[in-house]
Amino acid sequence: MLMVQLACPKCGFVIEQYRADQLETDAQKQKRYQYLRKKQTLCPSCLSQTAKLEERRLEVEAPPEAGLLAEAPLEVSAAEGPAPTPLCDELERGPWPSHVTELKQTRYHLQMYEEGLRQKKTQWGFGGYTSIPGVASGILMRKSARPDIAQGANLVRAFCPSGTFYSTKTLRALCDVADRHGYGILHLHATTCDIEVLGVPKEELKATVDELVAAGLDVGSTGDAYRNCQECIGPARCEMVLVDSVAMRQAYFTRFLDDVQFPRFPHKIKFKLSGCPNDCTRSQQKGDLAIVGVFRDPPRIDEAKLDAWVKRGGDMTHIARMCPARAMEWAGRRLTIDAEACVRCMYCINKCPALRPGGDRGVAVLAGGKMRGKYGPLQPFVIAPFVPAIPPDFKEVFDLCAKITDVYDEHARRKERLGDFIYRIGIDEFCRLVGVPTTPQQMAAPRVNPFYHWTPAELHRRGAAPPSEPPPEGCAGQARARSGELHAGRAEAE
Amino acid sequence: MPGVGLPPLEQNLPPVVLRNYGKWVEHEELRPGVLKHVAEGGEECYTVRAGMPTNARVSTALARRIADVADEFAGGHLRLTRRHSLELVGVDPARIDELIGRLRELGLPVGGTGRTFRNTVSCTGWIHCQFAATDAPAVAKAISDELYEDFLKERYPAKLKISISGCVNQCGEGSTADIGIIGIHRDLPRVIDEEVARCEIPLIVSVCPTGAIKPKPPKSVQVDPERCIHCVACAAQCQGMLIGDPETDGLAIVVGGKAGNSGNGPAFARFVIPYLPNNPPRWPEVVEAVKRIVEAWVAGARRDERIGDWIARIGWDKFFQKAGLPVGDKLLDGYVLWPMSARTGVRFHW
Repeated sequence: MLMVQLACPKCGFVIEQYRADQLETDAQKQKRYQYLRKKQTLCPSCLSQTAKLEERRLEVEAPPEAGLLAEAPLEVSAAEGPAPTPLCDELERGPWPSHVTELKQTRYHLQMYEEGLRQKKTQWGFGGYTSIPGVASGILMRKSARPDIAQGANLVRAFCPSGTFYSTKTLRALCDVADRHGYGILHLHATTCDIEVLGVPKEELKATVDELVAAGLDVGSTGDAYRNCQECIGPARCEMVLVDSVAMRQAYFTRFLDDVQFPRFPHKIKFKLSGCPNDCTRSQQKGDLAIVGVFRDPPRIDEAKLDAWVKRGGDMTHIARMCPARAMEWAGRRLTIDAEACVRCMYCINKCPALRPGGDRGVAVLAGGKMRGKYGPLQPFVIAPFVPAIPPDFKEVFDLCAKITDVYDEHARRKERLGDFIYRIGIDEFCRLVGVPTTPQQMAAPRVNPFYHWTPAELHRRGAAPPSEPPPEGCAGQARARSGELHAGRAEAE
Repeated sequence: MPGVGLPPLEQNLPPVVLRNYGKWVEHEELRPGVLKHVAEGGEECYTVRAGMPTNARVSTALARRIADVADEFAGGHLRLTRRHSLELVGVDPARIDELIGRLRELGLPVGGTGRTFRNTVSCTGWIHCQFAATDAPAVAKAISDELYEDFLKERYPAKLKISISGCVNQCGEGSTADIGIIGIHRDLPRVIDEEVARCEIPLIVSVCPTGAIKPKPPKSVQVDPERCIHCVACAAQCQGMLIGDPETDGLAIVVGGKAGNSGNGPAFARFVIPYLPNNPPRWPEVVEAVKRIVEAWVAGARRDERIGDWIARIGWDKFFQKAGLPVGDKLLDGYVLWPMSARTGVRFHW
């Protein structure tokens, strides 16, 4: 059969390959292939950066074995006897458990860290996310700037189990993998709740991935893909939660696993789920796509419970005074909540067990949060203030998310984060492209400036063609057509 | 091979959680680090929370010892929180003291619930990163040692979260926390012509947010020192763009971030100290500055007011006065979104 291979032009290492017929029919594979063709890549074998991968077409009997080029082991054993590490030792002092104590119990080259502290400069060199045959996402390789101490270290990234609960069996299996292939140090967790196994030589990357997957820890969450989805503890052990965030994460991985494991977007997309506005996953700061549980009717008051709570010493006066919306009135006996002033922030609900969220629950979908990128930290923008969250597949929510990332995939520039893209084209244009109806909850306040766009179709000139004509070319026109369809669909549904 | 997705929930959730999934009614904090959750049927679930080594670095040796403790006390299950603390869920209430003792033997302090100092979040820093301008794990360790007692006892008006990022990429989430520390580079990237020739030059030019990078024929780029904002974007795209200089790198301190919607709502933290030098291994200036901000907050805030909420009430003008921090032109914003932090109106606090 005819195979299409993408290989490193320098060392000839095959980074990915497809069957030619597969490439013609499978849209996902095409996108991934185009993505790899366009972007510069870090070769996992020779660690050189190449602007263009070499494409080869060749006739083969059966798919060739995926495997890394055999090479001398990556690691160089340190000099005899541990060298002194006075600065690291200093970091072992003090009552808090120290990362240095942990590093010392492993095969990590502590001299790299010691030299960093001594020179006030990191001793690690260039690196990045890369893919090996069969594993498109989940591997980071990094060179050393000090080859005299260590040769570089790679890590494999895996998804934590939902709720971040581990059975000790899973944890022990993870330890076994880290001991067998890595330095024996784990990152539990990296900041997006990924597990990282550090120090895997490149020959053993494939085995490490296979063993992690066998232990129930699938790998991924690197590169320009949907990243690991971080959720709050949700119904597993929290009474505040408004939607089943844990089930939603499971559904996310069922629906989007290909988008998670095959990078093909302009930049990464971080996905955060919080079950309520307390936002334990910090989705409203970090989430390219943030999903936050919300409720629409005012908090419920359980009078009997409130009486008992106040009698036990509960300070309702303080809570009423600290209400951010000044929506509570408490005269020592009766509590009233002004439903029009209440912003459903959860403050009183967190502090008093007699107050519970209302029953009209769903999620808000926000897009564009990030910590850096072109314009620096941006909080995500509200795209849809209320979407019903219906288990088991949460179709409405994830449909909207897929639509948002489709627009992003189609229109954003390379290496432009979703937030920067929305900022560049404007939230009005973005919402038109996605096709969501405008709601007052989307804006902090309506616009101040009078400089907006009108399309010819909106002007309804006398004698001009009726608006049923095909929409004008370009994003705005297409979007308008799409949003029109959506509105129509909605009207029918209602 | 990858592609299997997540394991079913039953594989990792403890039985007490599976029995009461979605049926929890209320919880209370018995003491710092010990939580009691009550479900609809009246079943109680006790949780013990402990701090973990800085940077969430866990050797397999420690992980196995933790697994042993979890087997003995929590039916073979454990949990890691969003700030990477350890939680043992479903502990027998009669054995909590014994468990706390066992965790202490492993070096893990029990606390970090309620109005306390929480586990720090930090990026990997100089342990394994090419960009880090400062060593986030070491800074986290120095601060955690200093605030250790506040992790064990509730002394604050509200919770205190501290996050440390080694550079402006903010993998360590500096801007999200009540007090954040962000490593900053101040020098220009150094261009290695022969390496740059092998990279995708249009990409290096286009990732630069300020247009400071221009092609330099035949196959290299040049950096405009007037426009460079030291954002590390180019260094991430090409191995010929080197950033980092031991003399001039350092860190900045930001204050007042939070994610929750109560109080003043979600917000990023704001810069209050634009630059402090790197001073390994213990960064005494940073610890001193953090302590100063914390003490001003403890003295001035009302109950339930996190740092951001407190500052929203008293104003930034008053904050700088109370914390005794100098104000300089580096705190004024001049970047793209600068009007968001400039003052309009004359409702000053004096």
